[in-house]
Amino acid sequence: MSEALQDFSTASQAQGAVHAATPEAALAVRELDFYYGEKQALKSISMDFRKQNVTAMIGPSGCGKSTLLRIFNRMYDLYPGQRATGSVLFDGADILDPALDLNMLRSRIGMVFQKPTPFPMSIYDNIAFGVRLHEKLSRAEMDARVEDVLTRVALWKEVRDRLKEPAAGMSGGQQQRLCIARSIATKPEVLLLDEPTSALDPISTARIEELLDELKQDFTIAIVTHNMQQAARCADQVAFFYLGSLIEMDSADRMFTNPRQKQTQDYITGRFG
Amino acid sequence: MTSAAASRTQPAPIQEARKTPFWKGDRLFRLLVGACALLVLVSLGGLVLTMAFGGSKAFGAFGPGFVFSNVWNPVTNEYGALAPVFGTIGSTLIAIAIGVPLAFGAAFWLTNIAPPMVAGVVGTAVQLLAAVPSIIFGMWGFFVVVPFMAQHVQPFFRHHFGHVPGIRWLVHGAPFGYGLLTGGLVLAVMITPFVTAVMRDVFAVMPPMLKESAYGLGATRWEVMRRVIVPWSRAGMIGGVVLGMGRALGETMAVTFVIGNANTIGWSLFAPRNTVASLVALEFPESAAGSLKLSSLLALGFILMLLSFTTLAIARWLLREKRA
Amino acid sequence: MSKSMGQGWRKDPRATQRLLMDRLATGMSLTATAILVLALASILWTLLWNGLAGLSLAALLHPMGPPGSNGGLANAILGSLIQTAVALLIATPVGLGCGIYLSEFGTGSKFATAVRFVSDVLLSAPSILIGLFVYLVLVAPFGHFSGFAGSVALAILAVPIIVRTTEDMLRLVPVAMREAGSALGAAHWRVVLFLCLRSAAPGVLTGILLALARVSGETAPLLFTSLGNQNWSFSLDKPMASLPIAIYQYAGASYDDWVRLAWTGALLVTLGVLGINIIVRFGFRSKQS
Repeated sequence: MSEALQDFSTASQAQGAVHAATPEAALAVRELDFYYGEKQALKSISMDFRKQNVTAMIGPSGCGKSTLLRIFNRMYDLYPGQRATGSVLFDGADILDPALDLNMLRSRIGMVFQKPTPFPMSIYDNIAFGVRLHEKLSRAEMDARVEDVLTRVALWKEVRDRLKEPAAGMSGGQQQRLCIARSIATKPEVLLLDEPTSALDPISTARIEELLDELKQDFTIAIVTHNMQQAARCADQVAFFYLGSLIEMDSADRMFTNPRQKQTQDYITGRFG
Repeated sequence: MTSAAASRTQPAPIQEARKTPFWKGDRLFRLLVGACALLVLVSLGGLVLTMAFGGSKAFGAFGPGFVFSNVWNPVTNEYGALAPVFGTIGSTLIAIAIGVPLAFGAAFWLTNIAPPMVAGVVGTAVQLLAAVPSIIFGMWGFFVVVPFMAQHVQPFFRHHFGHVPGIRWLVHGAPFGYGLLTGGLVLAVMITPFVTAVMRDVFAVMPPMLKESAYGLGATRWEVMRRVIVPWSRAGMIGGVVLGMGRALGETMAVTFVIGNANTIGWSLFAPRNTVASLVALEFPESAAGSLKLSSLLALGFILMLLSFTTLAIARWLLREKRA
Repeated sequence: MSKSMGQGWRKDPRATQRLLMDRLATGMSLTATAILVLALASILWTLLWNGLAGLSLAALLHPMGPPGSNGGLANAILGSLIQTAVALLIATPVGLGCGIYLSEFGTGSKFATAVRFVSDVLLSAPSILIGLFVYLVLVAPFGHFSGFAGSVALAILAVPIIVRTTEDMLRLVPVAMREAGSALGAAHWRVVLFLCLRSAAPGVLTGILLALARVSGETAPLLFTSLGNQNWSFSLDKPMASLPIAIYQYAGASYDDWVRLAWTGALLVTLGVLGINIIVRFGFRSKQS
């Protein structure tokens, strides 16, 4: 777990070995393998995540889609025994480079989890937490930032009068939108969403899906979902994973109307998974 | 059937269908186990009452002044609780001041930094240390810490701080090695493993997703600890500390060996002092049954009980909050 | 910096400071752990070094005696064994009963809540107070110290540990098992004693062993109850020797052979206590996997 601040010369060396990413790709995955100890969870994945697109990852449980998401912000670094090989290009650097500044990376690639994870502090501080780590803002600037992100997740009107109250007092849907606001407050370029609506009711789910449509104008969004309709509704690109392999990736329209692989067709028509 | 729990597991119709008077067995059973529960309640009640009753003579003779008097004189038959209470609280505070940062650091290291294998081994070692009988800590203190204090720590402090105004009172005294600081130090070593174990458990039940959320925003390990884990586990941490405090307050053997056993009050950390528990342990065998001295010791016991039970009640309450 | 590196990778202006803070915290926590481990090592080392030096057949087989008489600790070892055994004989039924009451009948009742709280308080009550209490109840009225009084004092310390584990373990028994038992027409007490308690047996046993480990090193509650004895004592009605008391008497003495025996006794007690703890841990872990 190296968090050393180094010049990124090592990163550029690693890069020489990989293909150049397509210009519009925010994340370019090349020949990516991932292991939990001895067990291989991802097999030779290569795919691009286009800028200002929503890319949905679907597939049965255990197919590796969440694992892939957790590689992009190096969350797996927290756990010894998990390792990745290959490369993931992001803004000219390889995310897998051990010399990469992890804190910097994570401020540029935000993540939202299956369940809302409000920190044990006020609504205001939940958002300020991430910002304070990386920027030194004046009180007024911070207030403006908080208002801005809360407005963007359509939460401002609901909570403007109770910013100082604990975030735990909000409803589940509100908490999840707060978590999204918290992630975009650090101005990341990529937003990773790991089944963000799996713990929410249909109304809250719909609001979050609407939100994605707006957010994609500014962020590259990668979303893992179990819900086929959700993928069809929100995604521009859809990738289908099965047993650690990327089976097929295409535009959402094409994937849901005319998939090329039989496995994909079986899955989206509900024959397994 | 008399209890809701019982009727749930024991549908009534089945019982009635059988003619055998099983309810008798059940009633007897409930009575027996209820009696055991009552016995536990009674033993604490008896503890409180006998201590209050035994100390009543001393409280009667000296009044509330007993608590505030700094006399312990068997010749004139005058006794007061101030010195041992001072020593008890003083040594406990020192133990907490030294032990809590150590425990917090160790728990942080074990849960967030150490490789799992190492954390497992060290964690087990720490838990074993928490099981070592207190008299062993007393002996270790007596044969290892006391000489070390006398030869190194006390001369060092006297030399460097003995003339600094404001501090010099703290380091005043002959370098015998015994004293309030030594007592607090040995207590710290005794309670730290225990507090570490509690804190480690509290940190470990933190939902991993919450931790990952903080890391996901680019926080360092320390920032995650400081800003997310600590606020989240505050009640449990304080509960652990207070539980450790309760242990330190009532500890007898670890302290008696090293505190020097002098019934005095003062600023010096190096001067011999006393605690309630050590005074009782030492003086009790020399007190005649029914004497005012014995009653004074029991009154001291009563005060100690109030101190420690209040502490424990607070700790239990704090630790319970999170569990529910 | 290479040309292809994106503009976004400029250094975070606060990164160095934050990293230093993290390193500092990591270093301090490592230091804290190291201090703790060193203290542990120092204790075990002192104990082994001094204890093994005095460990001999005579120490194990001879009773205590005056300085220089080649005395041992045999009567203290035996006294400790007798007193802890009797303490467990008293504490186990009471602790089991109370634990059963709390898990089977103790949901939502105020009495049970009070019992649970009191048991928790007793769990960490100062042991010297237990000694004083038993002195007032079992020693003073009879006019003499006794091994039995010592056992009762130890039992009071053991009960809360057994109560806690028994209740916890019984609550882990699946509801299905209770219902299966009741469905066969077994009375509640039979279900609890022969089904639930049996399936919870390993956990309950763990509690009893931990209680044994806890009380076998206790000194303070014995000071005013069984007092200690220089000679062989088999009668629970008389003052009885015990290892912790022998250690307490000998450690502060100015005779070398007594101090040596104190260390040997300390080593024996610690090995016993840690041995039980290791067995419990090890046994528990293999059960789980």
